[in-house]
Amino acid sequence: MGLWIQISSGSGKPIYVQVAEQISEAVAKGELASGDKLPAVRKLAAELVINPNTAARAYSRLEQAGLVTTKTGSGTYVSDPKLRRSDAADINILTERMDTIITRGLNLGLEGQDLIAMFKGRLAKFVNKKAERRKND
Amino acid sequence: MRFLALLRKELRESLPWMLLAAIIFLAIGGFVLRAQAYLGQPSWYYSGLSPGTVVDTYRLTHFSPLRMTGSWLLVTSIGLGLALGVRHFWMPLFTRTWPFLIHRSANRPTILWAKLAAAIISFIIPVGVVWVALYRYSCRPEIFETLPTKRVFIEGWLFILLGLVAYLGTALAGLSSARWYTTKILGLAFATIVICMTIFQWRLGWAFAVLVVGVVVLLSQIIDAFLNREF
Amino acid sequence: MTETVLETEGLTKYYGSTLAVDHLVLKIPQGCICGFVGRNGAGKTTAIKLMLGLLRPTAGSSRLLGCDSAALTPAIRQRIGYVTEGHRLFRWMSIAELEKFQRSFFPKQWDHKFFADMIEYFNLPKKRKIKHLSIGERAQVSLALALAPNPELLIMDDPTLGLDAAIRRQFLEGMIELIMRQGRTVLFSSHILGDVERVSDRIVVIDKGVLRANCSLEEFRTAVKKVTLSFPDSPPADVDIEGLLHCRRSEKELELILIGPADEHIAEWAQRNGAEKYHIVKMNLEDQFIEYTAPPNHRRLFQWEEK
Repeated sequence: MGLWIQISSGSGKPIYVQVAEQISEAVAKGELASGDKLPAVRKLAAELVINPNTAARAYSRLEQAGLVTTKTGSGTYVSDPKLRRSDAADINILTERMDTIITRGLNLGLEGQDLIAMFKGRLAKFVNKKAERRKND
Repeated sequence: MRFLALLRKELRESLPWMLLAAIIFLAIGGFVLRAQAYLGQPSWYYSGLSPGTVVDTYRLTHFSPLRMTGSWLLVTSIGLGLALGVRHFWMPLFTRTWPFLIHRSANRPTILWAKLAAAIISFIIPVGVVWVALYRYSCRPEIFETLPTKRVFIEGWLFILLGLVAYLGTALAGLSSARWYTTKILGLAFATIVICMTIFQWRLGWAFAVLVVGVVVLLSQIIDAFLNREF
Repeated sequence: MTETVLETEGLTKYYGSTLAVDHLVLKIPQGCICGFVGRNGAGKTTAIKLMLGLLRPTAGSSRLLGCDSAALTPAIRQRIGYVTEGHRLFRWMSIAELEKFQRSFFPKQWDHKFFADMIEYFNLPKKRKIKHLSIGERAQVSLALALAPNPELLIMDDPTLGLDAAIRRQFLEGMIELIMRQGRTVLFSSHILGDVERVSDRIVVIDKGVLRANCSLEEFRTAVKKVTLSFPDSPPADVDIEGLLHCRRSEKELELILIGPADEHIAEWAQRNGAEKYHIVKMNLEDQFIEYTAPPNHRRLFQWEEK
């Protein structure tokens, strides 16, 4: 654990964002299931060679997004999807991002059908992985 | 403990030079003495004397074979002084190890005393031992006709201490952060003056007095320079 | 309230008539890794040497672990690690001799096993003399020497200068390892902003001897912004946006380097001044640093001109 996170220290993205995004992606793909324990902040920091405060910040960002919960004295766990709150603001951001993607697609000359097909294809990658993992469990 | 660690380091750095000085002086001094033993008396001194001349026996003994090694002793100890001064106070500049040496859990005076103590040991032991050995050797009447006086022996120690003056002068010059053509050269210039003035004294007492004054002046300057120096 | 381990007040140093460090006011709290950045000749080494009492300040003062830099006692120095620029160690000593020497200055706190493990990890023969080591190997020895006494405050003067990526990473790992112990603080100067971003949580920027920033890395990352605006006609003559650092103009475009304003504020200003479009450029730390320390009339070295 921790090894699949790649830090690129020259990028425009802050490191804590990089860590948080890669963990979110792993959760979305089902590589991390609800109830899985994330490495301790200090362990993550040592493995990724990043400042412990940066690692803690990444976790607190995930926690704010409701993706993980921290149990004092025990560690940080991927939270139950049912408990993850999604308020109107989050949905709004999502809609905005979709708009950006649709705009780009249409500008490139793709049809609405193509976009839907692409979207389904990409989504399958996430959902299939999740299903695979459930089978293995 | 800390002082000993520093002393050991400085001694180890001085080791090649003190061995070199001891070997050179032993070789030259030994050669000179052996040559004198082989040639017999310094005949040039009394070859022109006619029978019945009163000979100043004091001066005669003063020109014992041992005294011929004296100038070599002076050259060796001044050379060693310069070499050690450069090793202790100039090399850290060239190798940029001053900051590494200075930042440690020891007072600055401790670091300085370790260097000075190492220098004194490096003088007294190798050159001094060789000098004593040569003196003992030249005191053997079965080999030499004229035996050395105590004064010759003490003069030798004076020469060894002049090496220390050269060391202190080099050290002071190394510690000065001025340009070489300004006050940086003063340490060496002062040491040169002290050495000359000491050699030109006819009385041993005065010679030692000049030497002591010179050493005290140089030492106080060095302590002041070292404690206030920027590294 | 965390303790301040390093503090300078109006620290100033002249070399003759050259001003090397200009009224540096700095406070570094305990427990952080602080990246000390500045261009070549900005005064980093001078500032570090002033803090360690190796140089005497022309004016001002500094305190390490609560003790005046000009009068650091052996007991305080024992708690402060210092890695010199270029990892200059005694050339004639072997690694084992150097450890023995260094160890006698840390009677109780020297971790011999830690040192030996590190040297073994680096695959360095203990009998090898320092003068026969490459710069990278010397740096590794220097890192082991710095970490073995478990210093409370570790100050490193450009430790990764001229090192390959693998050894640089070992230095970063070393810093992380040290900071995980309770109450340790690291200050290191570096030219590699990627390294600074990776391990620091605090950044100190110095330029021409003047302190330009001393804040958390995150604050710096969010504060320094580059905005490009294009206008239908010539851009406004008077750029009165808040936090303006540099303004470069071409015929129909403005490039602004801003400190601090929120994105909404920029959007509002762009609209008010009739910009056709604007773009907030995402910069990495290196770009931010270059823009932040650039002189006011800075232009690119090589400029492409359309004919």
